[in-house]
Amino acid sequence: MIRFTLQVRVKQSEGALVRILGVTRRRRFDLLHLTADTTEDGHFLDIQMTVRADRAENTLVRQIEKLEDVSQVEVVEPDEIGGERRAARSSAR
Amino acid sequence: MKGAEFLVKALEHEGVELIFGYPGGAIMPVYDALLDSKIRHILVRHEQAAALAADGYARATGKVGVCMATSGPGATNLVTGIANAYMDSVPMVAITGQVSTALMGTDAFQEVDIFGITMPVVKHSFLAKTAAELPRIVHEAFRIARSGRPGPVLIDLPKDIANTVAEYGFHEDATSEEIAEASKESITRAIAMMRESRNPVVYAGGGIGMANALEEFRTFIDKTRIPVVATLKGLGALPTTHELALGMMGMHGTKTANHAVQTCDLLICVGARFDDRATGRLNAFAPNAKVIHLDVDRAEVSKLRRADVPVIGNLRHALKALACKLPNIEPWRRECTTSKETHAWDYDAPGTEVYAPGFLKSLSDRAGDDSIVACDVGQHQMWVAQHFHFNRPSQHLSSGGLGTMGYGLPAAIGAQLAFPNACVINVSGDGSIMMNLQELATLRRYDLPVKIVLFDNRALGMVRQWQELFHDKRYSEVDLSDNPDFCRVAESMGIPAFRVEDRADVSGAIDRLLAEPGPVLAHVVIHQEANVWPIVGPGRSNSEMLHQHEVAREVAR
Repeated sequence: MIRFTLQVRVKQSEGALVRILGVTRRRRFDLLHLTADTTEDGHFLDIQMTVRADRAENTLVRQIEKLEDVSQVEVVEPDEIGGERRAARSSAR
Repeated sequence: MKGAEFLVKALEHEGVELIFGYPGGAIMPVYDALLDSKIRHILVRHEQAAALAADGYARATGKVGVCMATSGPGATNLVTGIANAYMDSVPMVAITGQVSTALMGTDAFQEVDIFGITMPVVKHSFLAKTAAELPRIVHEAFRIARSGRPGPVLIDLPKDIANTVAEYGFHEDATSEEIAEASKESITRAIAMMRESRNPVVYAGGGIGMANALEEFRTFIDKTRIPVVATLKGLGALPTTHELALGMMGMHGTKTANHAVQTCDLLICVGARFDDRATGRLNAFAPNAKVIHLDVDRAEVSKLRRADVPVIGNLRHALKALACKLPNIEPWRRECTTSKETHAWDYDAPGTEVYAPGFLKSLSDRAGDDSIVACDVGQHQMWVAQHFHFNRPSQHLSSGGLGTMGYGLPAAIGAQLAFPNACVINVSGDGSIMMNLQELATLRRYDLPVKIVLFDNRALGMVRQWQELFHDKRYSEVDLSDNPDFCRVAESMGIPAFRVEDRADVSGAIDRLLAEPGPVLAHVVIHQEANVWPIVGPGRSNSEMLHQHEVAREVAR
């Protein structure tokens, strides 16, 4: 079992969070922790999720990054996350 | 203008010629708008067939297939077809009516959360919230459906939005994204690995046809002279008759193809995804091979088998860049082509009953390279893959990933509408045909000259075969001996039909089938215990193929 934390930025669109959680479940990753905040401009949702699985990190990262509305995915240390860091991160799309 | 008219106008702008659909309450504004459009609507008799016909149209043409249904059951009936397109990466736009915005979330009549239901099986989906955004949504949906790795996109349209009057905001976004080229570094590493190899094999998948890279692929093979094995969807990437085409790999692959993969030192996977039906037991698949994986979808590379060299990006560019001469592989190439000759199919089966592989081989020889074959799912599907000759992947419409029984007839309808003068053949079985039998009425309505070959073994043949071989002949719910009289069923829907029982009548039957100017059904009776050979048992390695003569010997002991 490996355990890791992902930081995901997704466009605020219909079903955005459910779509990401759906991919996570379908690819057999267990969700251990989740927080989600709308960015100040209201256009994006910043999600931090800790998951556990028998599969490599990249299996999930690659599936999430190809979702249409996702602009950024990275594996982070759980303590890396903070409001300023998120606000500073620019959108790739 | 109303929202529904925006939608139809945007579809026209996308060049849509055909929509496969079925009307109902929530989608009525769109059907009203369609009356004033030049888009042709094809009324099927079940929404599932609308999605599968759109899929067949898309595979045969390379264009985006469009299907439409009303809310609730209309929408849920599309789901199998959407999932089918998703699993095989077929470009599709599915439009569903939805109850009015104010009623959404109230369990209204014919309300279902189709956006949520389809989420696992779409590339993307939209819920229209204003009429003004509809043109943008439509163009985005088409762009997403056909870009990169293609797939289905859903547009859910609430009835009040379809009825809203607004100013048409023209939105042109019809261009698809250019696919980035693979890195120079990956190409250099791949070429070095190819030059080192003595026993390389190319594992050709459906991505080649979808990337429109047939020409580049064939040049790559003619230059490198690497033997090619194909997945179900990769058949035709190299013509079946090409000397380097070793046939299909996997569960029902040829002995030559599976043996080549199991003994190769380098596997070059082109637009394929290491599906379990192709690989057999994964940890025993191509055990001595390094892997070069060419794909547009980064998520497929190293998903199941680690790629030593990932080549991610535009397939046409990568194949061009990798085409080099490999003088060291001549002995291996000869070994493979000799094996292909030694293990060529034997059509000289005992008995006087119709031998399905032989029937299909003759049909293929006579129908020619311009024909299109749409099959259903089961034994006949594998016989088509093994014995029909394909000159291009778009000639072979087969439900690979999802394995959808009932796919063939609607897919043939989609292909025939795209190519009215082509010889379109639906090869089906007595199990599969019943899954979308109602579409015979659609054939008649539009007078589509689809030729149906219905192999009837009075059983769910593939399941029966597995129960025979892997469940100690404990037959469970596979008997279809009470099938209807298929000829009378077809005739009742206005389709001429005839029955074939003896092998001696096959040649005449094929003549009659191909000479018929309109739709026709040949009801071909085959032995109930006819099996698909060879077969790799579930959970077994592709090195452990079972052949008919070996199993017969085993039984005789």
